[in-house]
Amino acid sequence: MHTLLAHELHAHFLSGKLSAEEITTYFLRRIEAHNPQVHAFLSLFPEKAIEKARKLDQKRKNKEPLGKAAAIPIAVKDNIHIKGELTTCASKFLSNYRAPFNATVSSLLEKEDAIFLGKTNMDEFAMGGSGIHSAFGAAKNPWNLSCIPGGSSSGSAACISAGLAPLALGSDTGGSIRQPAALTGICGFKPSYGRVSRYGLVAFASSLDQIGPMARSVKDVALAFEIIGAPCSKDSTSLQIPPFSCLKHFDSFSLKGKKIGVPWSFLEKLGGETRANFENALSLLQNLGVEIFDIDLSILKYSIAVYYILATAEASTNLARFDGIRYGMRSPRAKTLEEIYEYSREDFFGLEVKTRIMLGSFVLSGSTETNQYNKAQKVRSLIIQKMKEAFQKCDIIALPSAASTAFEFSDQSDPLLEYLQDLYTIAANMGGLPAISVPSGWGSDGKPFGLQLMGPQLHDTDVLLFAHAFEKASGFGFPLPPLFQGDIA
Amino acid sequence: MSEICYEDWEPVIGLEIHVQLKTCSKLFSPSANCFGGEPNTYINEIDTGQPGSLPLLNKEAVDKAILLGLGVKATIALFSTFDRKSYFYPDNPRNFQITQFFRPLLKGGVVTCDIGGETRHFKINRAHLEDDTGMLKHFSSFSGVDYNRAGTPLIEIVSEPMMHSPKEAVAYATSLRTLLQYLNVADANMEEGGMRMDVNISVRKKAETELRPKIEVKNMNSFYNMSLAIEAEIRRQIECYCLRPDLPHAEAISAGTYKFDVTTGKTILMRRKEKEQDYRYVHEPDLVPIVLTPEYIDSLKEKLPELPHERYLRYIKELKIAPDSAAILITEKFTSDFFEEALVFAKNPTALCNWIIVEFAGRLKEKGLSLKESKITPRSLGILISLIETQQITGKIAKLIADEMLLYPEKESDAIFKENPNYHPISDEALLNRFVEETLEKFPESIRDFQAGKTKALAFLVGQVMQKTQGKASPEIVNTLFLKRLKKN
Repeated sequence: MHTLLAHELHAHFLSGKLSAEEITTYFLRRIEAHNPQVHAFLSLFPEKAIEKARKLDQKRKNKEPLGKAAAIPIAVKDNIHIKGELTTCASKFLSNYRAPFNATVSSLLEKEDAIFLGKTNMDEFAMGGSGIHSAFGAAKNPWNLSCIPGGSSSGSAACISAGLAPLALGSDTGGSIRQPAALTGICGFKPSYGRVSRYGLVAFASSLDQIGPMARSVKDVALAFEIIGAPCSKDSTSLQIPPFSCLKHFDSFSLKGKKIGVPWSFLEKLGGETRANFENALSLLQNLGVEIFDIDLSILKYSIAVYYILATAEASTNLARFDGIRYGMRSPRAKTLEEIYEYSREDFFGLEVKTRIMLGSFVLSGSTETNQYNKAQKVRSLIIQKMKEAFQKCDIIALPSAASTAFEFSDQSDPLLEYLQDLYTIAANMGGLPAISVPSGWGSDGKPFGLQLMGPQLHDTDVLLFAHAFEKASGFGFPLPPLFQGDIA
Repeated sequence: MSEICYEDWEPVIGLEIHVQLKTCSKLFSPSANCFGGEPNTYINEIDTGQPGSLPLLNKEAVDKAILLGLGVKATIALFSTFDRKSYFYPDNPRNFQITQFFRPLLKGGVVTCDIGGETRHFKINRAHLEDDTGMLKHFSSFSGVDYNRAGTPLIEIVSEPMMHSPKEAVAYATSLRTLLQYLNVADANMEEGGMRMDVNISVRKKAETELRPKIEVKNMNSFYNMSLAIEAEIRRQIECYCLRPDLPHAEAISAGTYKFDVTTGKTILMRRKEKEQDYRYVHEPDLVPIVLTPEYIDSLKEKLPELPHERYLRYIKELKIAPDSAAILITEKFTSDFFEEALVFAKNPTALCNWIIVEFAGRLKEKGLSLKESKITPRSLGILISLIETQQITGKIAKLIADEMLLYPEKESDAIFKENPNYHPISDEALLNRFVEETLEKFPESIRDFQAGKTKALAFLVGQVMQKTQGKASPEIVNTLFLKRLKKN
């Protein structure tokens, strides 16, 4: 059953071939067997899941209408609220925090009869590109357990990759869905900013964050997007655009005559197997009739700097609320108000989080006219402008999702190296553009690569259609990593 | 130390006034905007800064702000935005306030007041929306925070520094308060903290044009105390300069935040002023800009009621009420509206005005009630005045009826009048004539005096009959009878 894709499981449930309880129990057992190896999940709610599954089986028996995600088990990144369950954001600070309300995406999926299995591991407060910065131990790459799965949606990526659940939610601020998807050989989609409600997502950088689906196939990702890509009255930045079903166009869509832009000058330093893999993917697209154009996105060389100024600035304000006063952990050694603030944040934030908060506070200091934040905003506008110009020449922009395959846990010596992981993915967040990572093959080390396709704002459908066409043509299928191919006993 | 000549100096005063807007719900959450109530009952996840919550702008609050802008003839920005102002304090649920620093909703504007018969115009610099904090409550061994008030919509109105006396400052604040009530923008109930003033004061020698360093006296919620605080601070600053004429101004008076100690009558330093950049102002990414059209503003303009100054002018020009009385009458909207309603019955504006602001005001003050709390109806008071005007009762009787109205507010004045035969002046001419004859018999010399041209004699005679009838005789009728009788002779 672990080789079945989400939409296939759903179809089997509807046809009666599999019961919801069977599906749910199966994956729960698989998690029990394999989670210790990959540490994808931080919390599980098996009783709730089985109860929901039983209800669905009853509904089907009574011939009641069933939701679009009926019987699909879903894993949710631990910075997205499921009411009553823990939302830890992989931080000690929230190790005891239960969500007081449902995230909009959770309500939408619940309504469509999805079955929540548990919350997944991540970099603390979504700050990281490796998974290492979890306060509860890192998730591991199912293709190579001594390697990072990427981050910050490390647990969701590992979970899908190892076949522990067929569908997961992640969040993407600078590449946190796409990069781990690439490193773990799965599909990860970041919708246009404003297409998916952020209500119930613990904010990292509000103008960049987006929740998105992760799965082994583009069809599954599109299925989830159809459900969660809806307007939300509780999120002011939510676009009032009704959800669009592009699944029905998948089979008829052809890449012939379509234009893909590649920023070759920006990719100058890309080398080795990553470059070869990327060029290979482009050839494949060309064989399908796509025209490849050179576009100028040399401005993207400033992406990392701009991102780390803007994102950390917003994060420093978003994380100010964690002060030990109202919820979360309070340091037991604090005796005065000042100490509550100081010691709680000292004791319960990880190093990466503290670093980013300090950086973010710093860039907001000084006069508001001349501070770093102000300058970075201006460059962001330029980046957006340049990308708009690029899209005049092409329908979709192609980039590698990551600069290399997953590095080893023992490799991470230079923190800046980890920041460079975001190099190819940040642009989409800067512009609020839809972008997806699809598996594009493996390196000689057996570790996966991902191809990134990015579209103009609100062209989510185009991105999904292109991705699906590539996926189909690539012929990779949806293989599970060697260690996880076997069925459970 | 040589004598300090206080008259050589003048104060320069500016006010920053925070007003709680009269809206159903809070500025960024649907929680009730209510005073009082059990602690932490008018709250939801937004008001307590739970992770994953997002602010939602209250349209009614924007409308109220626009109304204020129209009332003071400010420039209403068609495009304004929100910003985060960061600082840590337990009453601040997110440890940042959402305010409008970069682009406020209102700029400029004028508050018109009448000081001692002279019309004065005080300019406003800007006004903007922001949310209020919670309230700290201190107990013996711990402190608690009540977030009921957190998120209450505030409008902060910053005046130009152009008041030069406590009197002017109070006049400005009072007129602003009256205007806010008339516009139905705020109740500005001082006891409930509905209006709080921060006073910026500096002093300078009378001939100087440049401004010297200023300090801020924070959180005044009574006009009387504000006046005292200003007086005290003016003296303190003058003394500082005179004591150390060698020091540069910025050292003699260093910027800081003070509070007023009612018991000592002195201003006390709380802390050195935090400079602008310490708040690390940054754009609020969770809210979209407020975009207004001239048509929308015009639609609100149509609903503007008669403004206090307009009403004041109407009272003195059309109703011929004395300026000082008119100024008092219009100050509280409730009282002024009461007057308008009562006038329909009373018909004599000056008499009605005096009865409201003198006779009833005095009685109400004794009982510790406001006009609203007394539950006396406008009709009742109006009718009382008309009874005097039509000479159905004497002034003396009217006062007795007034006393009863306060004791039994459910009884209308005409009912009280009808019920008590003692309030009906004796108009029986036959009976009165007997008293007239008796009095003339008793005081024959008065007849001679009257005939000799001493008109005081008539008043004496009338007075005697009034005494005899315990004030119940109709003075006009008695007067007429005496005249008839005396002329006969």
